[in-house]
Amino acid sequence: MAAAALRPAILRRIRLSPTPSLALAAAGAGASSHPHALARWLARPMSSHDAHLTREEVVDRVLDVLKSHPKVDPSKVTPEAHFEKDLGLDSLDTVEVVMAIEEEFKLEIPDMEADKIDSLPLAIEYVANHPMAG
Amino acid sequence: MASRPKLSGIQKQVLALYRGFLRTARLKAPEERRRIESVVSAEFHENARSVDRRNFVHIEYLLRRGKKQLEQLKNPDITGLATLEVKK
Repeated sequence: MAAAALRPAILRRIRLSPTPSLALAAAGAGASSHPHALARWLARPMSSHDAHLTREEVVDRVLDVLKSHPKVDPSKVTPEAHFEKDLGLDSLDTVEVVMAIEEEFKLEIPDMEADKIDSLPLAIEYVANHPMAG
Repeated sequence: MASRPKLSGIQKQVLALYRGFLRTARLKAPEERRRIESVVSAEFHENARSVDRRNFVHIEYLLRRGKKQLEQLKNPDITGLATLEVKK
């Protein structure tokens, strides 16, 4: 449980200290057997892990996920909206919404974290701070 | 944040079970997934509406039944959800 509590802090830390040198070393090691591996690695399209999502993009995509939920009135969706109070969702709907956000950003949100996400600000915060969000 | 009512333990168990079903549904073929999602969603919402939230004995029973059904659904050979039909 303590590890779960530490997770957000660790994730933030990881995001703040990217390790291109490690990735380069790994690619370099591969290059010995495949001469073009390093060139390929360098020429690869930037993945979301390197070019982290902008906050604007996170907000837009989280808003879109909410608007597409069958029970949500799209006109009520704002970056400040609370799932229950503003959008009228119950806890089961909230599970659906949070899982749809997981899928949109290719994340798996542990239950302990997911249970805390009950509003757009918290959802946006979680995704924006997640180093693997893509 | 202070105003947010905390989820009770049993509520968290129900939500975790619901999440488990939805996660497992993702592993099935798209059409099957949609069918499982609609059946599971209907079942959970219906029980949330009809079962008294203080009826812990019944909720515990539903949780146990749901967990068994989820274990069966996790079997990759199982594609259907015939045992989960909502009975009214």
